[in-house]
Amino acid sequence: MFFRLAVKSLLNRKGSIMLTIMAMAVSIFVLLGVEHIRGQSKQSFNSTVSGADLIVGARTGSMNLLLYSVFRMGSPTNNIDWQTYQNISANPKVAWAIPISLGDSHKGFRVMGTTTDYFTYFSYGKKRQLSFSKGKPFEQVFDVVLGAQVAKKLNYTLGANIILAHGLGKTSFSMHDQSPFKVVGILAPTGTPVDQTVHVSLQGIEAVHIDWQQIANMSGGAVSQKQIQALELELEPKTITAFMLGLTSRMNTFRVQRDINNYSNEPLTAILPGVALAELWQMMGLLENTLRLISGLILVAALLGLSAMMLASIRERKYEIHLLRVIGAPPWFLFFLVELEALLVSFVSMLVGITGLYLSLLIAGDVLSTDFGMHIGLNILSFNNVLFLLLVAGSTVIAAAIPSFMAYKSASIGR
Amino acid sequence: MAIQLNDVRFAYPEAPNDCVLNIKSWSVSDQEHVFVHGPSGGGKSTLLNLLSGMLDANAGQVNVLGQRLDSMGARQRDHFRANHIGYIFQQFNLVPYIDAIDNIQLAHQFSNQQSLSDEIKSLLSSFHIPQSEWHKPVGRLSIGQQQRIAIARAMINKPELLIADEPTSSLDHNNRDNFMSELMAMVSEHRVTLLFVSHDMSLANYFGRTDAFSEINTSGEHN
Repeated sequence: MFFRLAVKSLLNRKGSIMLTIMAMAVSIFVLLGVEHIRGQSKQSFNSTVSGADLIVGARTGSMNLLLYSVFRMGSPTNNIDWQTYQNISANPKVAWAIPISLGDSHKGFRVMGTTTDYFTYFSYGKKRQLSFSKGKPFEQVFDVVLGAQVAKKLNYTLGANIILAHGLGKTSFSMHDQSPFKVVGILAPTGTPVDQTVHVSLQGIEAVHIDWQQIANMSGGAVSQKQIQALELELEPKTITAFMLGLTSRMNTFRVQRDINNYSNEPLTAILPGVALAELWQMMGLLENTLRLISGLILVAALLGLSAMMLASIRERKYEIHLLRVIGAPPWFLFFLVELEALLVSFVSMLVGITGLYLSLLIAGDVLSTDFGMHIGLNILSFNNVLFLLLVAGSTVIAAAIPSFMAYKSASIGR
Repeated sequence: MAIQLNDVRFAYPEAPNDCVLNIKSWSVSDQEHVFVHGPSGGGKSTLLNLLSGMLDANAGQVNVLGQRLDSMGARQRDHFRANHIGYIFQQFNLVPYIDAIDNIQLAHQFSNQQSLSDEIKSLLSSFHIPQSEWHKPVGRLSIGQQQRIAIARAMINKPELLIADEPTSSLDHNNRDNFMSELMAMVSEHRVTLLFVSHDMSLANYFGRTDAFSEINTSGEHN
């Protein structure tokens, strides 16, 4: 009966209640949305690289090395010698090594030179390996493997011929438009920068840079298989940008890191990717907290609106309160009636907010993953968000205390 | 005695020197039907609020149905009111957005008695409320119907004392006569003491006893 009275009372004031619910729902939408996307992006951020124990590059800051080697952002300070790579990867403590050679682009996407070990050892997320949605790893100099997003955005399929340019711009002056690269594989989406990368062999990278046009001209335009094989020998890389290391035992990580940092032939930096990722995310902490603060303030504003609406209704319901008193309702009944009404408004707002967020993520999910490379899950009710919802319910009780007390007071006077 | 007042004084806390009620001695016997008339704004409603325990007297004895209201706590008075007193006002007798059955049920909720919805339905039938109107929010019913439901609501807990505060003022002539005859039949049948307050002297012929409020309350003469 108590519950029914509260529900019917709210239905009787549909107009103002609806608006209040909208305001609350929007604020809950923002609150949960910010928290959800924050959590999800942190997760996908932290899972960009997971298998490698160390990342090695020329002497630089750990942030810089992480940014250019993993996120393909910014420019490497210096290259490292191919011999150095071979020396370090020959260390018995090293299980595998993936060389990375950056510096070229294809229509705005970074081109990365590497070896087929990349497809075997590189992992992301919870130790997930790269998989091919179509095709296979590169085998020859002019074979190309595309990240999922590159293929989707540029509409490339297997067998497509593409041109690689030197430099990073979309319209580079030195277009190597004679290099006939061919797509042989397309990777499955990962939600990491891998999706936006064009992978070729290290020899492929070298081929972009040598003036091999002459060779082609000599053989009358067509490049024979034999010539390519001859070319491969010539295309031994001189330098690479960075490399990732997997160690035989994790126990040796710090030891190997120290050895690399003290490498005498060349100044090098080795970083632990997990540590560097955590440091980088910490730099975003201020932004995170600002977003949280703003969504918190929006919620406070909505709750104040709820409180004001309830307070106004107490005056409207003067006679109703008096009547309830006369038929024997004690003052606390009116206090809890108003509190219950506020909580009902709050719960309906939560439902609307959560449904809205779920639908928005469902609709926007595709755009987010193709245009921003963000993979946002649909599991909105994380532990944090359930905690937030409880907090909203608690704040509602507090915000409704003022109008509830007014109802209680006007009931006590009994006039 | 259903009501016995001795040396009762009352002033609102906002104006403690302005004595609204000053009653030397006034009583109503069991099952008596008393009509109290007087101009509006004379303190009649204040008297009724004292009798129902909504207000607490500053001094004197307020004896209702053999219980001393002036020595009870606020919670006890709320309980006493729910269980023993029915109350009908001029208007706003019902919560407008819930239906007739819920309104009566709500009044019942605050009392100790057990009752069935059958009882509510027979009450509504006896007040000639058509079944089709039972489940509509009462705000949509006519004033006449609302006042009849108000009697039903006031009677659901089988009160010994029924207080009516100008219940007919918002009714037209026809509805008023219907209302009065149904009310009088109801109180006679259930042997209820009725205290009826109005400024409309033409209603006096329904009652066995008529008191002028100015004779009960002497506060105006002394101040």
